Order: sequence, then structure tokens, then C-alpha cells
Amino acid sequence: MSGNLLHRPPILRGPDGIGGALPALILIILFFVVPVVALLLRSVTEPVPGLQNYATLFGHGTYARVFFNTFLVATVVTAVTVIVAFPVAWMLAIMPPALGSIVFGIIILSMWTNLLTRTYAWMVLLQRTGVINRTLMDIGLISEPLPLINNLTGVTIGMVYIMLPFMILPLVGTLCAIDPMTLRAAALCGASPFDAFRRILLPLSLPGIAAGGLMVFVMSLGYFVTPTLLGGTSNMMLAGMIAQMIQSLLNWGLGSAAAFILLLVTMALYALQLRLVGAKRMTGGI
Amino acid sequence: MTEPFLSIRDLRKAFGSFVAVHDVTIDIPKGEFLTFLGPSGSGKSTTLYAIAGFQHPTSGDVLLEGRSLLSVPSHKRNIGMVFQRYTLFQHLTVAENVAFPLRVRRRPDAEVKRKVAEMLSLVRLESFGTRYPGALSGGQQQRVALARALAYDPPILLMDEPLSALDKKLREEIQAEIRRIHRETGVTILYVTHDQDEALHLSDHIALFRDGRIEQIGTGEDLYLRPASEFVASFIGNSNFLPAEHLETVNGSATIRLADGSVVSGVRIDQDFSHGQKTRLMVRPEAFRLRPGPATAGLAVEFIDTAFFGERRRVIARTAAGQEIDVRPTSDMAEAQEGIAPSRQQIFFDPAAAFLFPA
Repeated sequence: MSGNLLHRPPILRGPDGIGGALPALILIILFFVVPVVALLLRSVTEPVPGLQNYATLFGHGTYARVFFNTFLVATVVTAVTVIVAFPVAWMLAIMPPALGSIVFGIIILSMWTNLLTRTYAWMVLLQRTGVINRTLMDIGLISEPLPLINNLTGVTIGMVYIMLPFMILPLVGTLCAIDPMTLRAAALCGASPFDAFRRILLPLSLPGIAAGGLMVFVMSLGYFVTPTLLGGTSNMMLAGMIAQMIQSLLNWGLGSAAAFILLLVTMALYALQLRLVGAKRMTGGI
Repeated sequence: MTEPFLSIRDLRKAFGSFVAVHDVTIDIPKGEFLTFLGPSGSGKSTTLYAIAGFQHPTSGDVLLEGRSLLSVPSHKRNIGMVFQRYTLFQHLTVAENVAFPLRVRRRPDAEVKRKVAEMLSLVRLESFGTRYPGALSGGQQQRVALARALAYDPPILLMDEPLSALDKKLREEIQAEIRRIHRETGVTILYVTHDQDEALHLSDHIALFRDGRIEQIGTGEDLYLRPASEFVASFIGNSNFLPAEHLETVNGSATIRLADGSVVSGVRIDQDFSHGQKTRLMVRPEAFRLRPGPATAGLAVEFIDTAFFGERRRVIARTAAGQEIDVRPTSDMAEAQEGIAPSRQQIFFDPAAAFLFPA
């Protein structure tokens, strides 16, 4: 997210070049680079040197299913988050600032509330005898409880809720930068509200959607608590699988390989986004 | 009389207890270039927005060829508009921007292509079709906005201070462009500005707004030469207001006494004043002469500063009553140079070209 920080004006760089940055550099190497390299090494050395850990992960139906499941959940969560976040972000962008900052505060507050608490709260809401099912049955909309937990639906609901702020924040920034007059111009040009949204607002907010979407997707890929609590065992995701490999099976090699694959995918996605949004900037002047 | 093309009837817009527009009524013929002129907050933009459909009037009506526009949403009004700020779609090329109104109207590709080329040549940006708005200057962006607003042949073009973000030289260039486009397309233009020069240069008629009402509507000449009120006289062109006392009126020609005690007769008036009423006499700076003519009145002044402006000379003079006035004598250079030395002297004006307003 901070690629631009490297392009600071010279005045903000250390007075004596690399020397001043040395302590920070050592810190980064010690706590970020060394563990990642160690991870990579473990994945190709344990239990015996070679690529057999990766071969197992790619060749085994069970693991393939976990990978597929992980990407499926991350994709669905990202898509649903975008759809839910857009109207909220738009409302925040056009609200009177005083009211907007209150709503903003509520969103931030939900981010600060303990993750585990929020996930357990969803368990209470979503279970067979939970508030949602009981209410729906009471008003006669359904006769059988809906299966809202221990499946993909539960994971999606719980994760979308947690990811929303990460989508809303960048999106509000992008939407606020769009001059409302642009939309009035579109209307006078003959664009119906739907046309104005599809042809003007949506393309103009794409950088925000891309930034938020990438953040949500990457966070979802490695998410542990919510899928574990709301998804049940048949919907295991990569993070859950890594935990099981290391905690229960003590298979550090396989766990490291899985973690390393996750890291590679994340970096590839980030590179892709830089390319897409960067290229757009060059030609579109957004 | 035939049905007016665009008709604004008793238009009123209130925001809470603040009334932005007070029962404005204007009839606008087809092909007209009408400017709404006025200081900010005078209701001119609000009136324009009511026509565009951005603001719903509290009461009154807007009729286009006899049909009310009020129940028609903005995107179905078929009105073109150029805005104060740059409102081009930043993610679309210049050509795509101009094509936008045609695309949302689902016009066939061949027609869109032809029309875009035609519009870009109208605003003289033929070679800019593939550029993005971000790569254009402010003046070029407004010309693209103009092309976009005209692409679907709207019967009315609204312009909301489109030149206010541009520098002076560019403004003049685009003013000429707008006049030419008005001539070539015959589109009815409603133009909002607070700049009197712009209004005088561009429009057939000017509606001068003040506090949500139209103070006077007429040609630039009407407003300049026959101002209906002191406000009009001070807003259009430069004016000097000399305090005066009304003495008597005979056959529409008034006799007054100025602050320095001199008596001037032959002032043309269109309203009634009582004897002894406090009034203000308006004299345009360029109405002053350095030499007496037939039927001119004299004013004793002291020249305190002069500045040379090329086509004319501007003199700051102080009257005997101590008021500073602006004098721009229209006379040949030789006379001007000979006459303007810092000194006490008489200057002259034609009372029939001066106006009397209540104080």
C-alpha cells in the first residue's frame, strides 16, 4: 500500500544517506526478511530436502479443495463487500460532513471492537435457533430454520461484516474526489441515473474499488478466526489448514509451503493491481 | 404575439425562510442570447438550476414551447449545459466525452462518429479527439464541454459562469468562440455571469438580477444608457453619483442643486420628485468634457491624479464639495494633454445624459 512512500522528495531522506536508516533496515531484515526466508527454507527442507511438500499440496485432492475453497470464499467475500460497501461509501461521500463523521465513527468503532467478540456474536445470530432464524419463522417467512452457519453463507456474512470498513475507507476517498457536478453534467447529457452510475460513477470509482478489493481479497485469503468459527470443518480455508498442519500434525514443512504459496499469490495480486491502476493513471489522468 | 419559446412564470425558490428567487417572469424567444447578470447570491444561478432541473422551484413554472418542464427529470429535459467547473468525464477521451450524450440516447455508431467530428470542428479541436481531459488546458476543456453540450442539438444551452476559471486573455478568446457558435448554430443560450463586460460582449439581452428579482431587462445599451435604477447604473459601467437636491420639474426636465451650490437644469427624469427631495445625480465618467458645449453644465473640480490607459485617459478629480469622481473625457489627445494638469478648473457634462435617482 505504501509504494509511494519511497518516492519522497530528497529533503525527507536521511541526512547521511543509508547510514541513518540502518537501525530500521536491520529491524526489517531481522523481523520480516529472515522469517520469510526461513519459511521458504523450511518448506523445501522439511522433512527432507526437495519440492515434495509443494507436490503434495498441488497433487492431493483434499488440499486442492482447500485452495479452491479459499479462493472461492475470498472472491465471494470481496464481491459482496464491494456491493454492500458502495452504497455506504456513496452515502458517506454526499452526506453533510457533520453527520458523515458520526457514521464514519460508528464504522471505525466496529473495527476496534474485538474480532472474536464480533464473530461469536454472529454465531449467536446465525445459528439454527438464533435471532435471525427465529424472527423469520415467527413472521412466517420460513417454516424450517435456514442453514446460515457452518457453511459458505455463514463465512461470507461474517467476513463481509469484518471486511466492510477496509472497503469503505478507500472508496469514500475516491468518491469524495468526484465532483458532484460531473454527475449533474451526465444527467443533463441525457444519462438516466442507471446510465450515470454505470458509465460515469462506477468507472471513476474504480481505483478505490481496486484498492479496497485487493485489501479485502488478500486479507480474506489468509483469514483464520471467522472461517474457523462460522465455516465448520467441511469448509476449511488455507489458514485453518496451515494451523492444523502445524498444531495438530506438527508438519512444519507442509505448513510452510502452504504459507509460502499464499504469500506468492498475495504478491502477484499486488503486482497486478499496481500494473492495472498504475497504467490507468498514465492514460486516464485519474 | 406568438407563444414564447422558453417561458419562466412567477418562478420562486425559497430555502427555508431565505427567498433566493422572487417571482421571476421572463419570456425568451427562440435563438436568443440572454444573460443573467448580477452579484453572487442574486438568484441568477438558482433560476438557471431550476431550468436545468437541479432545483425544484417553490412555486411558478418553466415552460418550453408551452409545455411545463417541472415534472420532467433532468436527464429527459434535452437541455445542454456548460458548467463553471470542469465537468468533463476524466476517464473518457475527448471524443468519448462528446459522444456520451449520443451514446446514452442509443444513436447508431455512424451518426455518433459524424456528429462528434462535426462538434469537434465546431469548437476547433479536431485533432484532440483521442486525448484525455487531464491533458487539456482549462480553455480547451471548456470548449470540449461546449461541444458535449451541443452534440445532441439541444434547443437550449445553459451556461453557468463557464469562463470564470479562465484567465483574461483566454476568456476573451472563448467569448468570441461562443458568439460564433451562437451565430452558426442558432441555439437559444441562457448565460449566467457576474461580469458585466462579459454580459455586454456576448448577449442580445441582459436580465440584471438583484436580491432574487430582475431589476431591469433589456439590451446592453438599454441598461447602460437608460438604467432603471441606481443599482443598474452602478452595476453596468462606471458611474459617479453626485448628491443633489431636487428643486422643480417642468415637462420631465428637472432642475437640481448640487452639493457645491451650483444649480443644474435640464436633467431628464422618468419619476416624480418632490421639492427639496434628496437625490443622487449619476454622470458616467466618459460623459464629462473638458470644454463647454451647447447646453452643458459646468462643475468646478480639482484634478488630483491622472492615468493613461491607451485609448483614453482616466482622471481622478475632487469636486468643490470634496467628493472624488472618476472622469474619462472622450476627446482628442491634444486637448486631453493640454487640459490635464493638476489644477482647479471646470469640467462639463450634458444634463440630458445624466440620471437622477432618489437618494
